[in-house]
Amino acid sequence: MKKFTLTSHTGSTLTLVHPTRFTIDYRKELNDAQYKAVTSLDGPYLVIAGAGTGKTRAIVFRVAYLVELGVKPDRILLLTFTRKASREMLRRASMLLDSRCDNVSGGTFHSFANGVLRKYASLLGYDNNFTILDQGDAQDVINLIRTRMKLDTRQKRFPRKETIYDLHSRALNTMTPVDELLAADYPHYVELLEDIRKIHAAYMVYKKQNNLMDYDDLLVNLAELLRQQESVRASLSARYTYIMVDEYQDTNKIQAEIVRLLAYKHQNVMVVGDDAQSIYSFRGSSIKNILSFPEEFPGCVSITLEENFRSSMPILRLANEILRGSMIR
Amino acid sequence: MYFKELYSKKESGSLPQLVVAADENMQSRYVVQRILQLREEGVPLEEMAVLFRSSYLSFDLEIELAKANIPFVKFGGFKFIETAHVKDMIAYLRVLENPRDVVSWNRILLLIDGVGPRTCEKIIDDILHNRIGSHQPGREALVSTKFWTGFHGFPQGVQKLFDVLKDASLQVYPPSEKAFRILQYYEPILRARYDDHVKRVKDLEMFQNITERYNDVSSLLTDLALEPPTESVVDIESPGKEEERLVLSTIHSAKGLEWHSVFVIYALEGRFPTMRAVSNDDEMEEERRLMYVACTRAKENLSITYPINIFDRESGMVLSKPSRFIQGISENLLEPWVVE
Repeated sequence: MKKFTLTSHTGSTLTLVHPTRFTIDYRKELNDAQYKAVTSLDGPYLVIAGAGTGKTRAIVFRVAYLVELGVKPDRILLLTFTRKASREMLRRASMLLDSRCDNVSGGTFHSFANGVLRKYASLLGYDNNFTILDQGDAQDVINLIRTRMKLDTRQKRFPRKETIYDLHSRALNTMTPVDELLAADYPHYVELLEDIRKIHAAYMVYKKQNNLMDYDDLLVNLAELLRQQESVRASLSARYTYIMVDEYQDTNKIQAEIVRLLAYKHQNVMVVGDDAQSIYSFRGSSIKNILSFPEEFPGCVSITLEENFRSSMPILRLANEILRGSMIR
Repeated sequence: MYFKELYSKKESGSLPQLVVAADENMQSRYVVQRILQLREEGVPLEEMAVLFRSSYLSFDLEIELAKANIPFVKFGGFKFIETAHVKDMIAYLRVLENPRDVVSWNRILLLIDGVGPRTCEKIIDDILHNRIGSHQPGREALVSTKFWTGFHGFPQGVQKLFDVLKDASLQVYPPSEKAFRILQYYEPILRARYDDHVKRVKDLEMFQNITERYNDVSSLLTDLALEPPTESVVDIESPGKEEERLVLSTIHSAKGLEWHSVFVIYALEGRFPTMRAVSNDDEMEEERRLMYVACTRAKENLSITYPINIFDRESGMVLSKPSRFIQGISENLLEPWVVE
């Protein structure tokens, strides 16, 4: 077998395996669009995967393809929305190819952030052994602060800890000012805006002082770390030479920024998603991330998966028609 | 938005249907009967799903499903009768049916400011021993003046509760009127207890609508209690269970899933899209995407339904138009049906 050794600009080397030596017949297993997505390598790619078009299959095959091509599995980063999703995809890739795929770095944004921060949190003024607050813990901390600030003894009704936490988290994730959220969802508390703000500010201080991070902090701090620390950014970007993000239409602004920062050295990012299925804006996901991906990553190639493996044509004709109503505007 | 045109090799299949029903309950009964029909044709229950924009929109259907003995799981919201505020409402009605219902007394007395477990026990004791005669098994007690004697030495709210119950207990009132009177009393309590009371009030409007269909409180309570008691969260989550179950789900919770037959209910302008989205272009576009997600869950059958003549208390309007996302679509793509 003839070998051709590639030198990539990140310094990692890739031994190109000739397609005839592949154990998987990618051409036969995939349709044209899927094949194109699976076998695309360097540079930014936007894969628009319509409903039921075999998005998961495409990701699984691309993991296998990269590994088969000689990319070291731990150089591949697959970010998903649930742990179950990444586990399932890597399991399928392993079954398809071999156990090398188990070593692909996969997980949720939060678990990835946690892993990185365990190593580098000290650069942000935390100890690396920080404690993670789950939602219930976070609410308890807020309760504690409210009591300390003597805001619980007032005669006037005061929002519950769950509400104060919800406002804090959503303000951050949706990048919406607290007063707007308050007016929209809890209008009866509008006059308590200042008190709520005070609690939020004290909550931030308390966490830092006590070496605590809530779920939102994991993402915020990872973005902050990558922005601030040139050396960390460089080493992580060099480490993960191929980045894939699933359900990109559901990412929020902080997550999109993390992706940009991680890919800054090589721009080898493939995001997969469907703008037409972006339905979680109330939770902070931003359809703008997927819509502006080509501008954020110049030279981006778009691939659209349109062959649906789920529904009959009459159902798809109606679905297409419903979307058309939107594009007229 | 990126352009895409989905296609599939499954060329043939039945046309999606747009079904209009004269009211909410007819919509529910249509869905129930269609489900039973499909099941007869060999489609298992777990291959069918009913999807909706908001969790409260399935409440009426849940009651009809229970009546028809169709087991279901619900995702993306609590089942109607599992929500705390609906349980509260049911408890008020229950003591009017059975003044010996200690569990319900306990629930509604503890909602009163200043009533803790000990006071509560004293009041219940007083009700059982001083107000209801031992020879009176139940409801008759409510017509005696003895039952409604004034309270002394208890928090003020106790007397207020009894005033409301006395009023609501009048035989001439149909269930909806009783519920209405209780609701007026209960709303401030709801507002004081829950920060998200705005959403919960919607549920109670639904409750009010449901009571309008009943002539007596006891059959209303029976229907509400029909829910099999085994439906706890633990049961729902245990994966080993083989039992066939229909899926009820908000569209948000149905993402990524698929079923042989899908019903999208309440495709009604003002409900889906929601009223709130009407004044905001971005939100309206997201509502459209929700409709797209809902429709693309179906493999073989898709039925989109909407009731007409739905009174919206918030705006004071009567909702009767189909969702804008499906209105005006050619009959070659979406076949119009009417329930009669």
